[in-house]
Amino acid sequence: MTVLKQGQSADIGLLLEGTYPFVSGGVSSWVHQMIQGFPEHTFALCFIGSQASDYGEMRYQLPANVVHLEVHYLHEPNGKVPVIKRKGNKQVFKEIRCLHEQYRHADTPKGETASLLTSIMQHRNEGRYAESDFLYSRESWDYITEQYRARCTDPSFVDYFWTVRIMHSPLWKLMALTETFIPVKVYHTISTGYAGFLGALMKQRTGKPLILSEHGIYTKERKIDLFQAEWIRDNRGTLTKDSSEVAYFRHLWIRFFEALGRDCYHHADRIIALYEANRLRQIKDGAPAERTENIPNGINLPHLAQVRAQRSDTIPLTICLIGRVVPIKDIKTFIRAMRTVVNQLPDAEAWIAGPENEDPDYAADCRSLVKGLGLTDNVKFLGFQRIDELLPKVGLLVLSSISEALPLVILEGYAAGVPCVSTDVGSCRQLVEGLGPIDRSIGLSGEIVGIANPTELATAIVGLLSNPDRWRAAQAAGISRVERYYTQEQMFGSYRSVYEECLNKSDALAATPTSCPRGKH
Amino acid sequence: MAGIGFELRKLLKRDSLLGMMQAYAYASIISSGPWVLSIIGILVIGLMSVSMVVPEFLITQFQVSVTYLIAFSLTLTGFAQLAFTRFTADRLFEKRAHVILPNFNGLLLWVTLLTGLFGTLVIIFLFPNQSVMYRLLMLAGFVVMSDIWIATIFLSGMKQYKAIVNLFAIGYGSTVLFALLLRPYGLEGLLGGFVLGQFILLIGMVILILRNYPSDYFIAFDFMDKRYLFWSLVWVGFFYNFGLWLDKFMFWFYEPTSQAIIGPLRASLIYDIPVFLAYLSIIPGMAVFLVKMETDFVEFYDNFYNAVRDGGSLEYIEEMRNEMVFTVRQGIYQIIKIQSIAALTVFVAGEIILNTLNISLLYLPLLFVNLISVGLQVVFLGILNVFFYLDKRRIVLVLTGLFVVFNGLFTGLTLYLGPKFYGYGLAAALLICIMLGFKYLDKVFDELEYRTFMLQ
Repeated sequence: MTVLKQGQSADIGLLLEGTYPFVSGGVSSWVHQMIQGFPEHTFALCFIGSQASDYGEMRYQLPANVVHLEVHYLHEPNGKVPVIKRKGNKQVFKEIRCLHEQYRHADTPKGETASLLTSIMQHRNEGRYAESDFLYSRESWDYITEQYRARCTDPSFVDYFWTVRIMHSPLWKLMALTETFIPVKVYHTISTGYAGFLGALMKQRTGKPLILSEHGIYTKERKIDLFQAEWIRDNRGTLTKDSSEVAYFRHLWIRFFEALGRDCYHHADRIIALYEANRLRQIKDGAPAERTENIPNGINLPHLAQVRAQRSDTIPLTICLIGRVVPIKDIKTFIRAMRTVVNQLPDAEAWIAGPENEDPDYAADCRSLVKGLGLTDNVKFLGFQRIDELLPKVGLLVLSSISEALPLVILEGYAAGVPCVSTDVGSCRQLVEGLGPIDRSIGLSGEIVGIANPTELATAIVGLLSNPDRWRAAQAAGISRVERYYTQEQMFGSYRSVYEECLNKSDALAATPTSCPRGKH
Repeated sequence: MAGIGFELRKLLKRDSLLGMMQAYAYASIISSGPWVLSIIGILVIGLMSVSMVVPEFLITQFQVSVTYLIAFSLTLTGFAQLAFTRFTADRLFEKRAHVILPNFNGLLLWVTLLTGLFGTLVIIFLFPNQSVMYRLLMLAGFVVMSDIWIATIFLSGMKQYKAIVNLFAIGYGSTVLFALLLRPYGLEGLLGGFVLGQFILLIGMVILILRNYPSDYFIAFDFMDKRYLFWSLVWVGFFYNFGLWLDKFMFWFYEPTSQAIIGPLRASLIYDIPVFLAYLSIIPGMAVFLVKMETDFVEFYDNFYNAVRDGGSLEYIEEMRNEMVFTVRQGIYQIIKIQSIAALTVFVAGEIILNTLNISLLYLPLLFVNLISVGLQVVFLGILNVFFYLDKRRIVLVLTGLFVVFNGLFTGLTLYLGPKFYGYGLAAALLICIMLGFKYLDKVFDELEYRTFMLQ
């Protein structure tokens, strides 16, 4: 552990896994924005990374209300626990057996897992279950071999053994971390996973409220990583291997992260998703529905309203895709759709605004596709552009991505008076069609199409651009939708009430110290 | 004795009666150790000289002198034997064979210097009444034999079993030959012939070593480096050898059971002859155990650790563990069977043997007890061997340490209790250590996978 800035206490403890302030990106910018948006609160930051070498210098200037920052690396080899042969506590391992049994059954009532976890933490704190018990005790060995025999479908015992060890080693670091982290009133984790699990442990230890904000869905992203991971061994022979069946260790890792996620969901007081599809996913993954809610990201509305003022009265026949030229944005589908669009609206022009250096091969493919379809006069690659200069000249925004979360570019487009045609990914349907009856009554602010479907995309583009009434209705709907639901002020407002409620709860707890939440569920 | 298994398996693989007999013969020579050969050597020299050397007492003086040389050189080099065996095995495993020869030279230098110093002091102060020739021959014999024990370890560490066998044949052949040739010169003649033969043996060994294992530099003392030196093995080597001779020492220096033979050297005629005769019965048991250990056991041992490293299933790992246990159990059963047969043979033929050797039948009961002790000793050695394989140095240290203590204690007790109890001290000490060894084996095998995985 390294403490980069030492504080005594703070209002909000932010638990950050692999993000702010050492990694730049969407989530990090959001965290920075949040800290700056609440100057009245102090923040203590706990950064959790894999290894020190994976991160460089700090990418952000820490705002003044960050009073504490400590850094932990979960996969950094720390001092080896001295090898001492030991028996292990039978009772403790009985509880550990139960806990794992519950993890295996996702439908276990929340209280049971929580109380077992609390009890095991208690054993750890009181010396009945030290890390050396996990590593070296006979009980532990018996449990591991028992589980291997009962469940492991991969033949290699040594791989099973080390998978189990490596999997658990960060948990011990997290448990130790709960002892040293400075006192805060509310814990706020920005993902599930290790940070989320830490949040759950903190909540158990201190009883302080826990807030979870998820931008992506951690468990889902981990799963994608794990399916591609090459370090996970698969020792099944050619004959025994059924490729439709996931390798056991992959499966084990996936279940591990699912369990971490569920622990976090069970303990969090407020579970916040960016948009509805993610909220439903969280519920599916074990989050109690009554504690979930959506707080979308917000944009700086006044600034973009000025951009809107620069628009001319005519609808420009310019269709713009703002985004990096990478496969996930599926630029090629957009280009193919443009062939059909240009057939019907020969004056239509497509702009692709975004850097091309991330995947030069893909960018070159896209350019040759443009040439191949004879669209060189109609499709232009602009590179990175400032949106306030670009948007006034755009008639329609297009998102052909195969994966998105809550694309700010749609909201910015709305605020600048540009409707949108998007694929049905992430929050896009919610942004175009509205969520809930009131939102929906605002009307369509564009159109949703299926992914990788150039014909449908072209039809939608032509439909909007060649029908000024529909276009104007969509523009108006977009403007009122963004003003109503997606401003920075709204986001801060929502979080303000979340913070207020949790801070009050925390103060109430502090006033009655006897109400330590242990066991009585 | 890593490495011998390869040769043995090669012989056994021929799957013929001859191959098997060769394997066992081979194993018996290697395992029984040069000191059994030395005992046979002095017995043969004695037997063949009975009518030639006058007075007959000279033969006894010769035999006792050489026995002391063997006992003290083995006990003192015990400090280096196992530690250096381990050193060579480890370096070979690291594929750094070139460092072994300089270290052999280094160790030899040390051993020669220390035993030379020790021997010089002994002959100056403890043998004032003996001839200068006798004293010098004793000194030379002591140093040469000490060097031989070191060279033997080195050779076995280098997997040169065939060479050792041939060399021993030449060495002991010339020892017997020279002693017989020189016997007209009395005690000095016998001793001189013996020392000359041993010297030829040593020279042969050194030549073989130098020829087979060249190195860039001549001498090195890496074996004393902290990184390479296992202190536990230093003490195990000493305890084991000291323990084996302790009861003999006690009988030699206990007035009622011994008589002065030459200078300060005493012998216990009632104890020594039965013990040495009994030791000859060690050969079949040792051979059987060695073959079992080095072929079957090593195979499962290798399979076990390969499975651990290369991702075998737990079931397979456990199966290999069980097979190891099975071969150890079988090996011990076989030792017991073979030793029983050997013992029964001697029980039956004891009278005839003693009569043939012109030894009083009063020794018979003691011979029987010693046969049991020797059998137990093979079992004990077998157990230690398993622990060496599993690298349980601490257990071996405890067992050999206790062996010294118990042998001293119980032998003392039998001396106190009287002639009826003679010989039971060593047997009881070995029996307790074996029981303890079994207990440890039980535990070690029971915990083998747990320790291998969890406590590394």
